[in-house]
Formats: sequence, C-alpha cells, structure tokens
Amino acid sequence: MPPPAIQFTEITKDYRALFRKRPVRALESFTLEVETGEVFGFLGPNGAGKTTAIHLAMGFVRPTAGVGTMLGKPFGHHATRRRVGFLAENVALYHRPAENLVRFYGALNGLGGKDLDRSARDILDRVGLLPAARRNVAKFSRGMLQRVGLAQALIHDPDLLILDEPTSALDPVARVAVRELLLSARNRGKTIFVSSHLLSEIELICDRIAVLNHGRLVRLGRTADLLESRERAQITARNLPAGAFPGGAASDGRVTFPVGTPEVRSTLEKIWFLGGEVISVNPERRSLEQLFLEITSGDSDFHKTREHS
Amino acid sequence: MKPILLIAVNFVREQRWPILVLQFWVLGLAAASLLLDLRRDREDVLLMFKQLAMYGVAFSVFFGGSAIYNERRSRRILAVLAKAIRRRDYLSGLLLGVGLAAGVFSFVLGFTGMWTLGSIGFSTLYLWYLMLCVLVACLLAAAVALFYSTHLNPWMSAALTGLTLSIPGVVAQELGGKWGYVLPVYSLMRTVLRASFQGDSAMTAWPLLIALIELVMLWLAASWVFERVDVAVAVD
Repeated sequence: MPPPAIQFTEITKDYRALFRKRPVRALESFTLEVETGEVFGFLGPNGAGKTTAIHLAMGFVRPTAGVGTMLGKPFGHHATRRRVGFLAENVALYHRPAENLVRFYGALNGLGGKDLDRSARDILDRVGLLPAARRNVAKFSRGMLQRVGLAQALIHDPDLLILDEPTSALDPVARVAVRELLLSARNRGKTIFVSSHLLSEIELICDRIAVLNHGRLVRLGRTADLLESRERAQITARNLPAGAFPGGAASDGRVTFPVGTPEVRSTLEKIWFLGGEVISVNPERRSLEQLFLEITSGDSDFHKTREHS
Repeated sequence: MKPILLIAVNFVREQRWPILVLQFWVLGLAAASLLLDLRRDREDVLLMFKQLAMYGVAFSVFFGGSAIYNERRSRRILAVLAKAIRRRDYLSGLLLGVGLAAGVFSFVLGFTGMWTLGSIGFSTLYLWYLMLCVLVACLLAAAVALFYSTHLNPWMSAALTGLTLSIPGVVAQELGGKWGYVLPVYSLMRTVLRASFQGDSAMTAWPLLIALIELVMLWLAASWVFERVDVAVAVD
C-alpha cells in the first residue's frame, strides 16, 4: 500500500513577530491524511489556516510542533518536490514570455533538452495559452497568469498537485477546461490537493473534503457522505391526491417533498393509506455551500469585520 | 549545478537595469575622461577609477542585501522554492548572480581603465590585479549582506553589513594590519585605494585567498540560517 500523499500529524504552527507579545496560532494539533490518487478539497474561511497548512507541506514554513510527510518523505525534502506541482494563491511570476517562463520552471525541476521544449508547448496548449506563448506575462490578465501558474505546476507531470485557489480568477470556460485538466490528471492516478473558495468546483471534482476553521479540522469525509443530510429525507411518490402533502413539488404525476428523518416511516404509511405508490426515499442532499455555511457561520473574517464595525 | 546557474542568470536578468546603468556610468565616465588632458589630469582620472571601484562594492551590498527580500515581498520565491531545489542552492544562485554582475562591472572597469589609465603609464597587469581585488571584495561584501538578509530586512541588513565590513578596518588601523584579514574587504579595497602610478605595490594573493575561504564560510552560515527560516510570511 503506498504511503499517504500528504500526512499532517498533530501539527501546530505559531507565527511570532518581534514586537508582538503573543504568537498568532495558525494551526493547532492539525492531523490529516490525503490518500494517493484522490482529489482532496481543502476548505475553510479566510484566515482558517489553509495556506499555512499548504506552505508547511511545501516546506516554506516549519511547524512549531508535530511532523508531516509528503509522498513518504518529511516536509521540505527537496528531491520529493520534483514529484510535486504547486500553484500558490495570487500567483507571482517573473516577467518574461510565457513559454520561456514555463521552460525556466521546468528546467529548475530537472527537465531539459527536447523533453522540456515539448512539455512546455504541450502544457501551454492544454491550458489554452499556446497562441500567447511568446507574449510577456507582464501583459497578461489575472486569469491568464493563473493559467501560466498552472502550466508551471504541471510541466513536469507531477504525481501530486497542490493547488491554492487554482480557479479563482478564471472565467467559466477556462474553469471548465481546468476542471477537465484536473480530472484527467486524477484518471491517470495523480493525487490532487486543492484549496478553494469556489465550492461548486470542489463539489464537482473532489472525492473527499476537509473543512478547517480557526486552525482546527472541523469536518472531514467523503464529499457525497457529507452532503447527505442525516436529519432530512426526500420522498417521491405517485397516485397521490392533490394537496395531500403540502410543500411537495409535482411533476409528471409525481410528487416530491422533504420530511424529517424521524417522520419517514409515518409518512410512508400515510402514502400507502392514501393509495399512493412510493418511488424513492433518499437522504436530502444539500449543497456544499450550505454545509460550509453551517460549519463556519459567523466565524469568517467578513463576519468579524462587520461585528467590529 | 544547473538550477544554481538558472537562478543566477535569472537574478542578473531581474536586476538588468541597475546593472546596465552601472556599466553605462563607467563607460560614460571613461569616455568623458578621454576628453581631458590625461597626462596632466592623471591623478584625477585615477581618483575617478577608485571611486567607481568603491561604487561596485556598494552596489554588491545593495544587490546581496535586497535579493531575498525582493523575492519574498513579490512572492516569486514560492514558485522557485516549490521546485526540487535546496535552499542552499537558491542562495548559491543569488550569490553567483551578484558575482556575475560584479564580474561584468570589474571587466568593464578594467577594460575602460586600460584605455584611460593604461594610456598614461599605469601598469596593465597591476590594473587587472586591482580588478580581481574589486571582484573578490564585491563577492565577500555581497555574501555578508546576503547572510544578514536571510533573516533581517534589507535596511537592517545593509546597516549591519556596513558595520561588519568596517569594524575589521578600524581594528586593523588600531591594532595592526593582520586584523584586516578578518573579512578582508577593507584590505582589498585599501589595495585599490592606495594604487598609484609609481607601480611599486606588490601583488599578493593572500587577501584574495583568505577572502574566498571566508566567502565559503559565510555561504555555509547563510545556508544554515536560511534552511531554518519561514520564507512564506509577510516580510514587512
């Protein structure tokens, strides 16, 4: 069995400053495993500690306590990063033509010669930037810059992709293209660890998600399981008299309506009593946005700022 | 080795404007001095040459002290350190980049010195020895600045670099010349500043060798510190 792609074990990270009495705790006893080959969504409000966790994994910052591994090696192991593609939030790149830039980053990761030339043009094509390959990235829009950032992260065909807000600046067409790119990487056995505020994207592509709040892991599980409500179910039935169940949505002779989980049995008995036929009973599915708001409601920087003002 | 070279060339590319301005400054002054009566004003021309050599060291401190800070502030360091690169290789790349800039500067200064000083009797061999002194002094000064900049902001780094480089000079004045070999930027630049048309100065390799050994030690110390600092935090 392969080692976890990323493993955080009881990691705490404090940021200290020269003139600040108390350190700022960004992560507290954070434990998480990302399995090889999965697409993992990493969520949390601003300031929750997501970027700190990513920077720890990449070795940019060191943990105050705890340990972690990436592809079986301790965080910060330089040779392991050859198998990792990383895209930072608010991508910042040198000002030079896109193709030269991507080749530069590829060469830093050990690519060279014809492989590098071919990979650079191929990846620029896949992110839709081949026509702009000779243009200086200084003149690119934010969305184009983000695509160049993705290209430099993917040029060496990494086993593990760590992406911090990869689609935040993209238009819907580019977002779909990037989603397909990530899903194709997943289908080739790559592991993808993605942090994003675009919850609909996360919901579409992630096998599992973790929600971080105030530096602590507050929810972890399979996306489908987390989105299924334990408290409510949705019943679909037909041949029911009109208005038998208020709030139901009728379509093609079928009525669909939500009920609380404890009332499912009595509701089914009522349907049969009325001569109806039950077609399906499913746990009610909520959106990731609803789940996210349930978990983090009132905790985001936005809410705090509003309370202060 | 390849990543170090890539980082060095990238550094020169990023700093191309100040580097070019410095070269044009040297070339412009050389061209202007050709308008003078070189034989009559030879001491002035030599003084100008010495001043330019000092500027080279000052620019090296500026380049060395601000390199990491600029990369961290712009967040460009993240995409580079996300690759399979050791932090000590990254520092080596920056130091080599400063070395390339200083090398170009020393070459241009030596080359223009051959037109000007060379034409009025200054020993060409001694001129290139002085350029070697300038180059090594630039490298050592940049290494000190780079060491401080691994964990301090560029202003603190520049101030401490200035202090670190000048203290051996002051101690050498008070206690004897051998103290000048502790970070021998002072000793090397004194050789340049004392140069004259008499041509009786000896060309000794000791300060150069000691400077190169200390350069390696500073690089090791800077690498040790830089391996242990958080690079992905606000730098202001």
